[in-house]
Amino acid sequence: MGLLVLIARAEPSRSVWDGVYTPEQASRGQAAYAEDCASCHGLALNGGESAPPLMGGEFLSNWNGLTVGDLFDRIRTSMPADSPGRLKRERVADILAQILAVNQFPAGSIELAHQSEVLKEIRFEAARPERK
Amino acid sequence: MHQSTIQTTLVLPIVLFSAAAAAWGQSGGQPSTKNGEWPHYTADLKGTKYSPLDQINASNFNKLEVAWRFKTDSFGTHPEYKLEGTPLMVKGVIYTTAGTRRDVVALDAKTGEINWVYSLREGKRAAIAPRQLSGRGVSYWTDGRGDDRVVFVTTGYRLVELNAHNGQPIGGFGKDGIVDLKAGMVTGTGQQIDLEIGEAGLHSTPLVVKDVVIVGSSFKEGMTVVTHNNTKGLVRAYDVHTGKLLWTFNTIPRPGEFGNDTWENNSWASNGNTGVWTQMTVDEDLGLVYLPVETPTSDYYGGERPGNNLFAESLVCVDLKTGKRKWHYQIVHHPIWDYDLSSAPILADVNVDGKAIKAVALPSKEAFLYVFDRVTGQPVWPIEERPVPQSDVPGEKTSPTQPFPTKPPAYARNFMKVPDDLIDFTPEMRAQARDNISRYKTGPMFLPPIVGDPKGLLAAINLGNASGGTNWPGAGYDPETHIVYAQANQSAVTPISMRIPPAGFSDIRYVMGRNDTDFVVAEGPGFGTAADAPQRPARPARPAPARPAAPQVGGLTVDGLSIIKPPYAVISAINLDRGDIQWQVPYGETPDAIRNHHILKDMNIPNTGQPGSVGLVVTKTLVILGDSQVTSVTHPRGAMLRAYDKATGKEVGAVYMPAPQSGSPMTYMVDAKQYIVVAVSGGAYSGEYIAYSLPSE
Repeated sequence: MGLLVLIARAEPSRSVWDGVYTPEQASRGQAAYAEDCASCHGLALNGGESAPPLMGGEFLSNWNGLTVGDLFDRIRTSMPADSPGRLKRERVADILAQILAVNQFPAGSIELAHQSEVLKEIRFEAARPERK
Repeated sequence: MHQSTIQTTLVLPIVLFSAAAAAWGQSGGQPSTKNGEWPHYTADLKGTKYSPLDQINASNFNKLEVAWRFKTDSFGTHPEYKLEGTPLMVKGVIYTTAGTRRDVVALDAKTGEINWVYSLREGKRAAIAPRQLSGRGVSYWTDGRGDDRVVFVTTGYRLVELNAHNGQPIGGFGKDGIVDLKAGMVTGTGQQIDLEIGEAGLHSTPLVVKDVVIVGSSFKEGMTVVTHNNTKGLVRAYDVHTGKLLWTFNTIPRPGEFGNDTWENNSWASNGNTGVWTQMTVDEDLGLVYLPVETPTSDYYGGERPGNNLFAESLVCVDLKTGKRKWHYQIVHHPIWDYDLSSAPILADVNVDGKAIKAVALPSKEAFLYVFDRVTGQPVWPIEERPVPQSDVPGEKTSPTQPFPTKPPAYARNFMKVPDDLIDFTPEMRAQARDNISRYKTGPMFLPPIVGDPKGLLAAINLGNASGGTNWPGAGYDPETHIVYAQANQSAVTPISMRIPPAGFSDIRYVMGRNDTDFVVAEGPGFGTAADAPQRPARPARPAPARPAAPQVGGLTVDGLSIIKPPYAVISAINLDRGDIQWQVPYGETPDAIRNHHILKDMNIPNTGQPGSVGLVVTKTLVILGDSQVTSVTHPRGAMLRAYDKATGKEVGAVYMPAPQSGSPMTYMVDAKQYIVVAVSGGAYSGEYIAYSLPSE
């Protein structure tokens, strides 16, 4: 059993292309994003004077190969910059759903979880995998 | 006025010195790159970033290994993801800043082991400071006889002097080692700012020359300001022994001072900013200091300050002893493009047409290298005043002309030429780009901002501005070959639209934004991220968004890629004897987003380079700088620190970094071994200094 868990951790079975959030969650995330993130990262997630964009090629490259959990933890521990740790995990998950939506990853029927460990099972892949 | 309180001063001295440090201690004199040291942010006072070391060269760069690494997570209440420091190395010891607290650390240069830490707990003063996080590092002063000091500016804008041997504040300097830099900072016609919450700060390191410490000033980002009557910028010099103020240079001249009349309608009295936020340089022999001055309030609207606004966006030469102006050259008249003067001026002794000239060369966000005789201020090659487009934003009065250097040519793209500069990987992409860009105003350089109209033109397109060309890390220079090496971002497409601010937000008539979209305050990088930042700073409440963000109409991306075509950034070698570009190559390697793009997958695309502005080191044979982006196609997921042949620009080696370069690199030698240190951070990777050296034989 322990071995199986290790294998699962090494290669998460799902990716951001598998519909890992819901439209409702992204919609909540949009409002939360406007409140907590937009002043630095821009309403359209296109970045500020130096706060990086949260959409597009550079952003996707930066997270490609990591997991949604890595991004979740980065937001959770360091954002918003003026009071890191202020946001509830659920709110961070909502904002993350909005980020995924804006980056045109497909929505699905299950919301993003708010446990880092669970989210670390979802691979962040910039490019859509080839369909078999 | 509140009296600020220093809650705690923590110094953890571990007074242990290596044999190397002891050996240097006996040699005395001033530290120098000639001894393998790196005693200034820019290597030397001339701004060159040049070290003559050559142990690490083209033949062995690929063999570099991590010698030591220094993670900065614990120097503050939470990790920093934007570590920008460039360490100094003097007598076998590394000195730099670290973490969200901006602590100062002294490390053994061979191992990275901590000698001491200095930590000043500034509370709210730091939490609301305009320039937060760990900053760019520290400065060093020595009398050459064992009185060695580290000088730096805290997040809360205090000038601190420490004993370099143990990190203890220097008692005779200011009050217990500290000079309050907010004292003397004013708004309006001379109203002292609040010492606790008044707006002033600094990222750059002080300029320490002879027995003088020269300090600039900076403020919050100026896109959506709450008042045009912001704190006024200035440059001040202090006695290195006592902290006594020696002179002040008013970058906004007062009545009776030269240039005051360039602020029409008495607007000098009701405008601020115009600080010096980047590194300054000095000619010790001539006794001349070179000040690169930034934009006035506000970045993109100058309707409250008609006139040319000296000394905004000017290179100003002042006397080291008195601070009196010797000459100045305004790079941009009546600045409204946020061009600032971003980079340390470089002092270069050149030979032009057989004539020896003591020159100063200024790299810029505009990707022009402005070159002057540094004694007289005369351009080495003519700089022409040419007509430029005029603003139609109400109240704005743009300058009819702007200066254009005739030589050297621009070393990166500095305006968007339509359609030539649009993405052209495929004809369909070009067509889409043309369609998208038709919704924007485009034109030559100095295209003024417009009031964006959702039914018409959305914004005016500029390149450069906030993040283009050469930015705060500056460029480098080889004093033997007279060549400047500059990295420059040429893909910072900036749509500028102005709007009327919401009622009660500001006394300025226009701020950045669009009247048809929800107003968003644009904060600068790192704002509110200091260690003790307890809550959102007081500012007028932002109305909750009544509607979702407007969909991107005619966006500036095409199939997820930048609308502008590569190379996204370039490295250039600029010959200062001839005033031409000797070579130019793309910076870094093609981003994953291009390599893996579904439309481009089967195409053979030459290196596009990466966007971003980074600093570099120049050595005997190499130009060394790291990637700004994480890639994973040609190497494990990470970024690469690359070496380029100085003569040709050919990449001759690369070594793995776990995250992008976020600070300008430096190099030094201890015990016959050369090291390169670079600050990396970004994405999921928190700040770390990494030292590389060659494997032991």
